[in-house]
Amino acid sequence: MSLIGLEKVEKGNLKKALANAFNSIGFIYPRNATDIVIKPNMCYYWDKTTGQTTDPDLVGSLIELLREKTSCGEIAIVESDASAMSCKYVFKYLGFEKLASNLHVKLVNLSDDKTVPVSVRVGQHTFNFQVPETIQKAQLRINIPKIKYTVKGIEITCALKNIFGCNPYPKKFRLHPRLSEVIVALNKAMPFSLHVVDANIVSGVQPRRLGLLMAGEDPVAIDAAAAKIAGLNPRKIEYLKIAEKEGLGRQEFFPKGSSLEYFRDRYPRKDMRKKLMSNAYSIAIKTGFGRRLGLE
Amino acid sequence: MKIGLGIVGLGYIGNTHLQHALRLRNSNLIAVADISKRALRNAREIGAKKTYADYRELLKDPEIDAVVISLPTHLHLECAKAAAEYKKHILLEKPIARDIKEAREIVSVTQANSVKIMMGYPLRFNRIFRNLREEITSGALGEVVTAYVTNISSGPFFHRAEGYAPVPVPDWWFKRDLTGGGVLVDLGSHMIDLLRWYFGEITDIRSRLGYRFNLDLEDSAICIAEFQTGTTAIVNVGWYSQEYKLKVEVHGSVKYAVGMQSASNPIFTAAQMLVTGKSKFFEPHLLELQYFIDCLMKDKNPSPNGNDGLKDIEAISLAYQHQMRS
Repeated sequence: MSLIGLEKVEKGNLKKALANAFNSIGFIYPRNATDIVIKPNMCYYWDKTTGQTTDPDLVGSLIELLREKTSCGEIAIVESDASAMSCKYVFKYLGFEKLASNLHVKLVNLSDDKTVPVSVRVGQHTFNFQVPETIQKAQLRINIPKIKYTVKGIEITCALKNIFGCNPYPKKFRLHPRLSEVIVALNKAMPFSLHVVDANIVSGVQPRRLGLLMAGEDPVAIDAAAAKIAGLNPRKIEYLKIAEKEGLGRQEFFPKGSSLEYFRDRYPRKDMRKKLMSNAYSIAIKTGFGRRLGLE
Repeated sequence: MKIGLGIVGLGYIGNTHLQHALRLRNSNLIAVADISKRALRNAREIGAKKTYADYRELLKDPEIDAVVISLPTHLHLECAKAAAEYKKHILLEKPIARDIKEAREIVSVTQANSVKIMMGYPLRFNRIFRNLREEITSGALGEVVTAYVTNISSGPFFHRAEGYAPVPVPDWWFKRDLTGGGVLVDLGSHMIDLLRWYFGEITDIRSRLGYRFNLDLEDSAICIAEFQTGTTAIVNVGWYSQEYKLKVEVHGSVKYAVGMQSASNPIFTAAQMLVTGKSKFFEPHLLELQYFIDCLMKDKNPSPNGNDGLKDIEAISLAYQHQMRS
């Protein structure tokens, strides 16, 4: 059974929280990791205070910790262009450009990276992706997702969904019709070995300082824990069922550190108004009415 | 007789003008222009008869008497000049231009070609803020000593994916050389124009700018402006909040008054626009366009005009020059 470290974040002590979380899951720092990739969530031009994007200070603390514990070579912080977001601006806007310059790490827009074609099967379907070279050659891949409610059918975004952002194809919106399978396929094509969930500030009906840092090596277990914290039943989430079936991990986990219930009780629940609007929007787009409304 | 109308630029606000233009009295929407094929296809579907990928072709159309220019700011001068030379009257979206030099050129080219130019400042057509002006000018508030105006939102970083769908932020929004400035130009121009309408010309203005998002453009600005009337106003504008707030508070020697506009629900507003051609949120834009057409019908000079646009950009330039340091 996978270990999940749940650590309370004391104000201003992210590095200590990271070290504690890694200790609690028995994470062994690699002696040598010539190339390390860190994938935060930079989904849009909304900063860390909104609970939507990864805190650059957490990424900075992780980089400092890695440099203390291992002789690492080049570190790259990666993201790719998306339907509504461009890396060249989001790196700057969210403070990652400043961080990269201060800590002398690379910032890589995966949409501009060289790629190699990779085919993966999920169930009966074969998916063909272009895997960025930066990710392919990395010896240690670290995922730093957020916990967020998302579109109907996916319900929650955390570790597995964050890897969707490693797909260099910018028009990601077009992959949404088969999102559950695509998420699993991308994780099979680009497996990450360590997942650190930035749940210090989380979004829901409104952002809340939850003060949680969660770490684990099994992305399925991480997402199952995240779903429970957000008040959802992971067994009912389609992409988690597929991920488990495809061998990406197990939903059962053993929590270490703080109690999961403590965070679950404090998690800000879904914003029903936004949920209703989201459903209305989906219907408008699916029926073609959205275009007439000028919403596309 | 009806005014033949053309719309150049079918972005967020251009589309709003399009929906209104299809329903106006005393005008016929003749054509629209945009570089996006998709925008033109959508415009055709909702009733635009002629579409052009190049606005110069639209300007050559003899059926068109006037144009609404809702293009990115760096294209205002080029398009307004061409429109004036083709003798088309102009409703130009704010800000008038990127700087004073361009603004002066726009004013002068419209004068030289004897075409009318109106600035797109919908707050002047908003009932809430019109009523406030009535209270100020009627003397009901006494002498207005101070005013506080706030216009804070996520600005161009409005993301419909938070419940809706991803809409990319156009590249030009990130480039100071294309916008002429940040939030002070974008939202500040609305507020400065409104205050000038209330209190007359600005005699001094100072600013404190914020760069929370590490861009070359300020994403927050607080200005202190002094007016001919003796009123001192604080202008607070920002692109940093997901929640929209537009509030005007005026304090007179007799009493105070407050005007506030709430955010609209985008789907509800869009549905209202489709069914009725109107919505509460965009009502000022409709009144603004109708007023522009009425002015052309009556051969009257519209207000706010190009000179207002120029004065607003002059005040903003002064605010950029007079930055307060901590």
